[in-house]
Amino acid sequence: MRKRVALILSLTVAFFVFLCGSLWATDVEDLVREAINYYRGEASFSTVDMTIHRPGWERTLTIKAWTKGQKDSLFTIVAPPKDNGNGTLKRGKEMWMFNPKVNRVIKLPPSMMSQSWMGSDFSNNDLAKSDSIIEDYTHEITGTETHDGKKVYVITSMPKPGAPVVWGMQKLMIREDFIFLSQEFYDEDLLLVKAMTGREIQMLGGKLFPRIWTMQKIDTEDEYTVLDYGEIVFMESLPDDLFTISSLKNPRR
Amino acid sequence: MVWRNIWRNPRRSILTVLAIVFATMLLVFMLSWQFGSYDTMINTAVKVHTGHVQVQAEGYHDRMDIWRVVPDPDALSRVLGEIPEIETTTVRANAFSLVSSEDRTYGVLLIGIDPEKEATVSTLQKLIRRGEYLGKNDSNAALVGELLAENLKVDIGDELVILGQGRDGSVAASVLTVKGIFSSGEDSFDRSSVHMPLGYFQDVFSMRGAVHEVVILGRSLDAVEAIKGKIKRRIRIVDDHAKMVVLDWMELMPGLVQSIKMDLVSALIMYAILIVVVAFSILNTFLMAIFERTREFGVLMAMGTTPGRLMKFLMYESVTITLIGIVLGIIGGSLFTWYFQVHGIMISGASEFLSQYGLPERMYPKLSILSIGLGAGIVLVITLLTALYPALKVRRLRPVEAITAV
Repeated sequence: MRKRVALILSLTVAFFVFLCGSLWATDVEDLVREAINYYRGEASFSTVDMTIHRPGWERTLTIKAWTKGQKDSLFTIVAPPKDNGNGTLKRGKEMWMFNPKVNRVIKLPPSMMSQSWMGSDFSNNDLAKSDSIIEDYTHEITGTETHDGKKVYVITSMPKPGAPVVWGMQKLMIREDFIFLSQEFYDEDLLLVKAMTGREIQMLGGKLFPRIWTMQKIDTEDEYTVLDYGEIVFMESLPDDLFTISSLKNPRR
Repeated sequence: MVWRNIWRNPRRSILTVLAIVFATMLLVFMLSWQFGSYDTMINTAVKVHTGHVQVQAEGYHDRMDIWRVVPDPDALSRVLGEIPEIETTTVRANAFSLVSSEDRTYGVLLIGIDPEKEATVSTLQKLIRRGEYLGKNDSNAALVGELLAENLKVDIGDELVILGQGRDGSVAASVLTVKGIFSSGEDSFDRSSVHMPLGYFQDVFSMRGAVHEVVILGRSLDAVEAIKGKIKRRIRIVDDHAKMVVLDWMELMPGLVQSIKMDLVSALIMYAILIVVVAFSILNTFLMAIFERTREFGVLMAMGTTPGRLMKFLMYESVTITLIGIVLGIIGGSLFTWYFQVHGIMISGASEFLSQYGLPERMYPKLSILSIGLGAGIVLVITLLTALYPALKVRRLRPVEAITAV
């Protein structure tokens, strides 16, 4: 009798473990999705100071950025005056750039998407925080840490077979309240190429958000790019006509 | 005694000598031809773009970042002007940027050139297929590679929008008008480069007078080492805390060095086969001589000549024949090669094709101590080795058997 109880008990436990296991996989995906949604919001407007540091010189750009959902974004440089009005529009996987001096819009070929944006350590792909990490990668929790008394999940993301991606592996650190702490980019040989880390988590636009983001190339110590969010507003939505070529040409104040 | 022996059967000896002469001549000519064609290849390749020697900022060759510049090219040019081995120089600035036509965009290498000086260093001017080369007063004009023009779907007079990054990190943008279309025959160059006047390039990309490459063409390929050394010594004078490096064509085009090495290896295999054939024919004549003279040797030995002495005679004979052959071969081969070195070899039918890519229509072999000595030396060693075999065979002769042999 006792044996039978033990058997039923262990079977039940096994069943729950199995159930949890299968839930686990979707949990991770949800976690990543939530984190990205949290990071981007439904729609957002922000003002960012981007500092590009190179050996010998440093340069700061001020950028206004609008994002909507996971696919659309619009960036306009407002300072320094020399670059004022230069803009980038991303819709889905397509991207355009605008330069006021020659008053032309250039559509970026797909081959340029992994190139650096405005000479920074962010690639055109990185900047829009594309949804590629959700769609093209499978995720697995490979560790946990604690940060400010909260649990932090370390997630290893491997590209799905045949997915059109640049990176051979990514490592994400997501806090249990869905705040992105870092994202590491590895090449096909699983060597670390660059890493983005967020710090100074504070209330921004009504929620906790890392104010400063650093993108650091691994092989050179003296080359990095810092994003400093001066202002960020999360919204329910933004009008569709904001993400068009005509508004790229005529940036809103 | 040796001399008399050689001329006792003049036909045999002359045949042997001729075989050696022929082999030596062939080797001298082939090696000279090969070294000559490498010289032509290298000189042509350096004239397409890189030049013999370049001065760049440290690290620029590995990572062509726009901020790794040669800040004061004029000061450097003054220093270079004092080096007699330098024929001519030019300066260039490069930037990776987007080039966009009406409906296509590509990432290319945008090169700012000084039109007049560039023409003295590179063959760019001769490579223009349609339209015109850049003039002194051009500003927003562009020379586009033929394949790139096809990809962009542009022709002479069409507009190109360029968008890139200036030296200070600012956005650099401009509109250029296509003035000429060039084709170098090197696909990667024709597909991904656009040339524009240096002055305008420096404006657009906020270069503040700086350039990326100082391109140097020496008087000859052999002067490269000397030029490199002299620049390295003098560069410190102008080196205002900007680190600059001097690179020669081998460092600039490692691919070319590799292809030459590969060609040389395959040629060496050819020569090895040739030498084996020659060696066997010489071995044959030497062996035949011994068979014919078996009776003679038998008599000599019966008279008391030691086998060692006989062997020495035979070796002297072989060495004499070989030396005569090689000396004649060197003289003949050198004269033959020298004739073509002066007059060049016309590759008939190909001249138009060659000139299209800036290659000279005549190819010149290049006579050098190496090309003469190498061929002759190899023939000498091989012949002596083959001569050794019959000479050793003599030692095993028995006088009585030898006398009765046919």
